[in-house]
Amino acid sequence: MRKKVLSEQALYYGEIEMPKGFEINPLNLTNNFFKSLYHKRKYTWSKDFDKLNSYIKDFIKLNYKLNLVNKDYWTNIFVPNETTELQTNVDPVDLRNSPDFTLLYGINTVNCKIKILYDDNRRKGRDWTIELKDNNFVMFPSTNMYSIINKQKESLNFVQTITYEYI
Amino acid sequence: MAHFAKISEQNKVLTVVTLNDKDMLDTDGNPSEAVGQAYLEQHNNWPAHLWIQCSYNTKRGVHRLGGTPLRGNYPGIGWDWDPTDQIFWTSEKPYPSWVKDVQKGSWVSPIGDSPDLTEEQKNQNAVFTHWWGYVWNETNQTWDLTNSEA
Repeated sequence: MRKKVLSEQALYYGEIEMPKGFEINPLNLTNNFFKSLYHKRKYTWSKDFDKLNSYIKDFIKLNYKLNLVNKDYWTNIFVPNETTELQTNVDPVDLRNSPDFTLLYGINTVNCKIKILYDDNRRKGRDWTIELKDNNFVMFPSTNMYSIINKQKESLNFVQTITYEYI
Repeated sequence: MAHFAKISEQNKVLTVVTLNDKDMLDTDGNPSEAVGQAYLEQHNNWPAHLWIQCSYNTKRGVHRLGGTPLRGNYPGIGWDWDPTDQIFWTSEKPYPSWVKDVQKGSWVSPIGDSPDLTEEQKNQNAVFTHWWGYVWNETNQTWDLTNSEA
């Protein structure tokens, strides 16, 4: 008797452990966000964004042999007790140009949870919830619906999203 | 064109990049690894000491063009950097009993390399009537001669 896995829904998560003195500065990432709002255009590549992006691509390749290529990136800001609608980052009528993975990174996040929906064959609508701590990430297939749940009381939560395809 | 390996703090090779020779010249115009490391720290956002220069043409401690070998091997992603011996090692040991040969920059059996093939065996390999070769036998700790006829 043998077994073959045809597909998997893998989730990758953890802390971004940059070398000492090279930590990602959350203020620079939030600054990018506010600048893009002010200038009404997408913010450009920054050093801190590059640190995050390179870390993810390097260590995912090292540990899981996945070659990630950037598709898109943006930042969201959440007020206390804000919960997003369920969302997905694939376009169902343009799967060819849709990303494979969605990465969420917590920028000074407090009480922020990510709820990811998945199907386990005929057991539909299951979910897995993980806390998105500051300087932590969670990456999952872009076909999975997800919701960002913010239960902080005073501060704003910033979540950096990066989408990838793998080659 | 110079090559530098980007390594993690756990000494795992993350990637290898190329660097223009002009970006690693010191004030006297001589190539300097430290200058290259500083350049990569500034432009690639990773600490200078975690960029290690390597040689594209170095394999098993030998420079294939007759130059000076550098740090054992040209590494790939996932290889190990040995800061003590200054060598890049393949991350996987071929067999449990094999040991590191620092001079060669490669894993070797406890009894050394396999014996050479005889001239007759080489000739038979050359005309594809046989395919002689030695295979390591981990159980017996010996090199076993195999012959798979072509």
